[in-house]
Amino acid sequence: MKKLLLLCALLGFVPAVWAGGYANTLRTTELKAKPYTDSQTLATLPQRTRVEVLARKSGWTQVKTATASGWVKMLSLKLETGAQAKRGDNGLGTLFNVASTGRSGSTVTTGVRGLSEEQLTNAKPDPQALQDAKRYVVSREEAQRYAAEGKLNAQSVGYLNGGQ
Amino acid sequence: MKTKQTIFMLCLLGAAFSAGAFDFGKVDWKKAAETVKKVQKANAEVNEPQEITLGEGIASNLLGAAPLLDNPEVQMYVNRIGRWLAMQTERPDLPWQFGVLDDSDVNAFAAPGGYVFITKGLLAQMNSEAELAGVLAHEISHVLRKHHLQALKKGAQTELLSDLANDAIRNKGGDPRLTKLVSAGTEVYARGLDKNDEFEADRMGVVIAARAGYDPYGLPAVLQTLQAIKPGDSSFALMFKTHPALADRLSLLEQKMSGPFAGLENQPDLAPRFLQALGAAK
Repeated sequence: MKKLLLLCALLGFVPAVWAGGYANTLRTTELKAKPYTDSQTLATLPQRTRVEVLARKSGWTQVKTATASGWVKMLSLKLETGAQAKRGDNGLGTLFNVASTGRSGSTVTTGVRGLSEEQLTNAKPDPQALQDAKRYVVSREEAQRYAAEGKLNAQSVGYLNGGQ
Repeated sequence: MKTKQTIFMLCLLGAAFSAGAFDFGKVDWKKAAETVKKVQKANAEVNEPQEITLGEGIASNLLGAAPLLDNPEVQMYVNRIGRWLAMQTERPDLPWQFGVLDDSDVNAFAAPGGYVFITKGLLAQMNSEAELAGVLAHEISHVLRKHHLQALKKGAQTELLSDLANDAIRNKGGDPRLTKLVSAGTEVYARGLDKNDEFEADRMGVVIAARAGYDPYGLPAVLQTLQAIKPGDSSFALMFKTHPALADRLSLLEQKMSGPFAGLENQPDLAPRFLQALGAAK
């Protein structure tokens, strides 16, 4: 954790996990002491309880209510509009020069290039760019090495079936 | 399936008979044989090399619309993650190629044959490698299930697709029919895929990310982040228009994920590595 903090300080990131933002419960939701189903239930939050978002761990979100803090199922929350501006601000927006609202640079239809509906419909091929992009393709071995470096262990998990 | 096709063929043979249909002396056998041949051709499926040729054209168009982000480290990083994910699937040996587009719009694209692109605008919304993996795995699923080809079939491109399947289209030298098919394939991005194909890619995406050893909740976390974006923000317009409502996608994922992923919640999200890798973009 200390390492991450240091890294963030070095790179000038504001990590999303510590940023604020608010969310509302979509339904009656149990507030747990820890991010586990069998953890102690601290309180039962009624539907539409407004909570402050503190962090996320896998399928759980750490929240603060007026009286307590704990963990709720991530998908029992809906973030408030604009909460993303904080929660999603990983610092990369500024890094990549992505405008916070709308497109950076030219407007929708004046530019020839861009990913609007119209621009995609009229796109001209750039085979050279595709050829150039191939130099970043990695081998299976390299992918495997990088996964191992991140301590990622392949698992056997079956696809989920469709329907409701 | 075979029986159905045979019955269908017999019916067509019937249709090929002249007015005195059951007077076998008057059967136009030549015409009947031609009809059968035509139907066989129309039913031919695009094979893998043909799929790749088509995807290459579409990917080339996409790069014509938006250039690749000029950052080798970030491009390599995304390829490492993408390739590792693809290795956990039923089509590990496609020529998988991943890329980040230098565009502030929030969107991601898959083309037949193994081409996957995300915009830097979408990348900037993410918080961890598991979130990136979730999005890439969603796009990989579109390729695995050939959703793009399905959309082309629905978009009345059946004839051109069967020409491609029957090698009637030259894949080099700018055959105008290939150009037309590639254009139609690019237009699919403006129109969107089938809603159920998007839901399927969500369901498969979380599984592929989990197989690769990541926290499976990366994809829903990104969708939840996007849900909090102000409606009317133009950089999200096309993604919102071409995908089912985020609330519906999240609620379907919630129903499906609650049980099977219980034991996988401690898999890493590699947030530090993500921030570090993208920090190289400085």
